[in-house]
Amino acid sequence: MIEINNLTKIYKLNKKQMKESKTTNPLKTAVDDLSLRAVPGEIYGLLGPNGAGKTTTLRCISTIIRPTKGEIYVAGHEVQKEPEQVREKIGFLTGDIKLDPQFSVDYMFDFFGRLHHVPEEKLKARKEELFEYFGIKDFAHKKIKELSTGMGQKAAIAVCLVHDPDIVIFDEPTNGLDVVTARGVTDYLKKLRNEGKLVIISTHIMSEAEKICDRIGVIIDGQKVAEGRLEEILQETGAQDLEDAFFELYRERKGEAL
Amino acid sequence: MDGIRQICGKELARVFKDGKMLFSVFILPVVIMIVVMSLVSNMSQKAEQDVEKHVPVVYVENAPVEFEGFLGQTGIACEVRDVKDREKLRDQIRGGEADLWIEFPEHFAEAVGNYQKGDEIVQVKTHYNPSEEYSRAAFDTISTGALEMYRQTLLAERVDDMQKLTVFTVNSDNPDMIIQDDQKAGGKVLGTMLPYFVTILLFAGAMGIGTDMVAGEKERGTMASLLVSPIKRSSIVLGKVFALMIISGASSVVYVAAMVVFMPQMLGGASGEDLGISLTLSPRQIGMLALLLVAIAFLYSAIIVLVSVFAKTVKEASSYVTPMYMLVLVLGIMTMFTTDAPKSWFYMLPIYNTSIALQGILTQEVTAAQYGMTLGVTLALGAVLVGVIAKAFESEKMMAI
Repeated sequence: MIEINNLTKIYKLNKKQMKESKTTNPLKTAVDDLSLRAVPGEIYGLLGPNGAGKTTTLRCISTIIRPTKGEIYVAGHEVQKEPEQVREKIGFLTGDIKLDPQFSVDYMFDFFGRLHHVPEEKLKARKEELFEYFGIKDFAHKKIKELSTGMGQKAAIAVCLVHDPDIVIFDEPTNGLDVVTARGVTDYLKKLRNEGKLVIISTHIMSEAEKICDRIGVIIDGQKVAEGRLEEILQETGAQDLEDAFFELYRERKGEAL
Repeated sequence: MDGIRQICGKELARVFKDGKMLFSVFILPVVIMIVVMSLVSNMSQKAEQDVEKHVPVVYVENAPVEFEGFLGQTGIACEVRDVKDREKLRDQIRGGEADLWIEFPEHFAEAVGNYQKGDEIVQVKTHYNPSEEYSRAAFDTISTGALEMYRQTLLAERVDDMQKLTVFTVNSDNPDMIIQDDQKAGGKVLGTMLPYFVTILLFAGAMGIGTDMVAGEKERGTMASLLVSPIKRSSIVLGKVFALMIISGASSVVYVAAMVVFMPQMLGGASGEDLGISLTLSPRQIGMLALLLVAIAFLYSAIIVLVSVFAKTVKEASSYVTPMYMLVLVLGIMTMFTTDAPKSWFYMLPIYNTSIALQGILTQEVTAAQYGMTLGVTLALGAVLVGVIAKAFESEKMMAI
């Protein structure tokens, strides 16, 4: 289970960043008093426009960055107090995290497996299963730098799942993938959910959220503006589909400026 | 511990399993060093031989009748010519066409032969061009060599008993002139060079790889994948620092071994014994050296990793590391020119203390307390730096994620 209580993340901007975002305020609130709960056996989607705070939230959960305020419990472990235990439980993947281009997919898989203390026998079985599922076998011996974008993404997904984590966190899981590969990934996420794992993803693609998420949290300007099953959100906003519902929420939040 | 081992193993695999890396880290520098040194020594030998072969062109003015014959007797090959135009000769010497000009005064033979007590001593002037190799060689062999012999010959004609003029000699027959401990002398020669070389090898060997290990991982976006692994930040840091230690240590061993093996080639045939740097080390000295070198490798690796943590790119890291390299280099060189015995508190100065301790081990002048202090300071500073690096790894800003 993931439980976020009143998460706030404030970044300090340097002069260059202040200039870029045309502000004189050196503090930028990326996530503002956000609370949510996601439970095993569901795919929870964080939906929002670019810069809404989705990635920041996922990074806080993954212990890569520290919350400014609030608490996050991952499988009962608080991210700031027991970061190693949290990392043991999760598989985290984002486009920014890459595998070492100098090594083969095989080597990287084994390396991260050992870092996660996966026993050799289980490591073999996991490799067989994941490489088979994502069609990696043909290029497993190749160095990461020799792979195409799609192949690289598949390899990264397989590596991040090496330890069979109970909680899978994917930041924009299908970003940059072709239709076939993207479908493979979303199908795998559903499979994980069906196995009783908790999957939390961030996305700005409405159709993706509609299709695979069991529950959706809409985030705008770092705050959660709606949460629930697709039908609940549609009902709440009186909209026909998620895109309309999102714009309704966006308009409410931003005023009539849209 | 397991995390440290995994990280260290991966960093070592990066170098040792990659043919190109192995070549560029271990083989290429050695090949370059050997080729360059051999080339330099070969060329300088060739130049020396060329000077030896050259028959100097010597212009002699007002030469006494027997002088040319005398030159022939000494066995010094030279082409003697008469001076016709002094200004032209001056230009020729300046231009390198003539090598030496010997100017005897007019009536030299009479002045020497009819010398009476109180007469003015005649002077023979020689002119040469020190920036021309041939001219300088001609000056050495003829002006200072042959003319002195000629003077002795004439003197022998004037004085019956040459012994009387000698009064006494210094060390003309004294094989025991030098009293020294050969071990210590060998250590002295090696001790002046070793800290310098160790610095270059250990630091330079680790520089490229070390910056890539941290700044490179940040730049490529691969660091984050380590940061979401269930290992402590300090394990990542230690794994990397240890790997760097092993790589820099291994590369310096390779370099030193290559230097020893190829020393004769690099010095154009001269062996270590000719140069007085043959040295046998006692097991105690070897143990002390090995332990200290491990500590130095640890400190240098920590310095390089620390500097790389602050950089966003490898390029940036390299530019930060260079001043550190200079500093370490200067401290290494300082021992080459210090003749005073180092004061005890010098052994508390990090980096510098390792240079003087290395020297002290070889000359057997370092005390146990001084050695212990050096080792302690080096390891303690390395540990502090590792702590700082681990802290920096916690920082979102530093890790640029």
